[in-house]
Amino acid sequence: MKKTRLPVWEWITVIVCISFFILPMLIMARFALQKVPVSLLGRDTLFSRWTLSGVTATLTDDEFRPALFLSLRIAFFTVAVVLVLMVPTVIWLHLGGKRWRSLVEVISTLPYVVPPIALVVGISGTFRDLFPWLITSNYGLVPFYGLLCLPFAFRTLDAGVASLDLRTLVDASRSLGASSSKTLVSVLIPNLRISIMTTAFLSIAVVLGEYAIAGLLLKPTLPTYMVEAQGQQPQGAMAVALLLLAGTSALFALIGLTTNNRGKKQNETGLVI
Amino acid sequence: MPNKMKGRSGVLPLLPFLIFVTIFLLVPTITLFVRASRRIEGGTKPAMMEAMSNELRGSFVYSAKLSVVSALSGAAIGFLFAVAVTRIDRPRWLRTWVTGFSGVAANLGGIPLAFAFIATLGVQGLVTRILYHWGVDIYDSGFTIASFWGIVVVYLYFQIPLMVLVMLPAIDGLKPTWSEACANVGGSRSHYWRFIGLPILFPPILGGFLLLFANAFSAYATAFALSSGASKLVPVQIRFFLQGETITGRGNLGYALAGWMVIILIFVLGSYLALRRRTEKWKRG
Repeated sequence: MKKTRLPVWEWITVIVCISFFILPMLIMARFALQKVPVSLLGRDTLFSRWTLSGVTATLTDDEFRPALFLSLRIAFFTVAVVLVLMVPTVIWLHLGGKRWRSLVEVISTLPYVVPPIALVVGISGTFRDLFPWLITSNYGLVPFYGLLCLPFAFRTLDAGVASLDLRTLVDASRSLGASSSKTLVSVLIPNLRISIMTTAFLSIAVVLGEYAIAGLLLKPTLPTYMVEAQGQQPQGAMAVALLLLAGTSALFALIGLTTNNRGKKQNETGLVI
Repeated sequence: MPNKMKGRSGVLPLLPFLIFVTIFLLVPTITLFVRASRRIEGGTKPAMMEAMSNELRGSFVYSAKLSVVSALSGAAIGFLFAVAVTRIDRPRWLRTWVTGFSGVAANLGGIPLAFAFIATLGVQGLVTRILYHWGVDIYDSGFTIASFWGIVVVYLYFQIPLMVLVMLPAIDGLKPTWSEACANVGGSRSHYWRFIGLPILFPPILGGFLLLFANAFSAYATAFALSSGASKLVPVQIRFFLQGETITGRGNLGYALAGWMVIILIFVLGSYLALRRRTEKWKRG
């Protein structure tokens, strides 16, 4: 094999792809931060009127903060629901319920088969009469957002538990006289903190970006706010979108950092089922 | 072992999980299909049949076409990108960086992505204006950011990274000895790819395509924001019928569309899982 060949087409491909990914973000940033209409943009206006006023105007907007805080609260409760439901379940699967593991794995990927836009149709048909609170309350979104998190929550936690010597940890803890719940709280959860944190970050990212369910049930979350603001103050909406992207990317970077420190285990999260 | 955590208690510990999924996923899905099999006001057939016999069938064809084109182009570009990245060894950080970025971008989608592309390729988008300045009017040929090709381009933003995530581990699985063996018997690079590389990578490429198809087919927020709710895509149409439920009496059509969507996704993702299971069996030898 010729080792000395310069990777020419490889670099061209990489540069074209990377520009495709970076350009829209830069342009959105310009739109959010520069008060010059596109039609007047030229060599002499390129550096003028860069300002944070669009961003600050949005941050002080009366409807922005409630939307942000609602999304954050829903994210908090969703993380709680996902972890309380999945951590004990996955641990049990590895201890005594091995036979059920593949069943749970298949069930946790079902939310991909019923995507949010189809799920919300079923939700409104089911609970509008049966249990209207789920439709009318803003926090009714929590269980459904928890459901959207199941696929990656299962995979992440399952990989985390599999990397522990679970049997030994549990037996050691019991022989020292700890109860099951004591073992869970002071032995297992601390050992699983990386996969728990990854699950939490991914869940927050999902909640902050989800629009299908929130939009159809008319919930004033952050993405709904962005869509509404797009018409009246596009610059502000862009600024929020930019902040959301930066925030989400920061969350993913954190995930990357925590998992990289442990080595391996990348790509096990996210969309890939 | 007298161990309470060792599952002699049967499936009891699994109950919270099963109950949660039953209430919040299974019951709504069943309702979905029950409502979809009812008739719409003034109709004679179940809504699901109705949805396939009137103009809505066009929506499905449109959605399916868009998903196929988006998955094909995403898979092709993503594959090339992944191969290119694995073959560049200096600077080392490039690959780490691309992997990390793909993890983020594959999950992006949604409203912010639509905004970014409106600013880039919208009527007043920066790239649109620059191209216009250079004498290329992309809007002259009927292109808009909410049109078929507009949406395909925007979806590439999360499709390419998803394909990269699928392909990188598979490409790493290609052993250098194979290409050396090929060279030893006088084969060129193109021989190698035609007779060794691509056939071996075929299952993950096909799997990636199915995954990308499902991904595009179920995407909603991006298309909605790009088109301000006016797209012909099935997910956007579902919203239209559901919101107009009380006014038009044709709300069951929304259920029917969602029902068909679920059926198609079961088929596509089911094939993906079956394919992956086969590949894993083959890998274990």
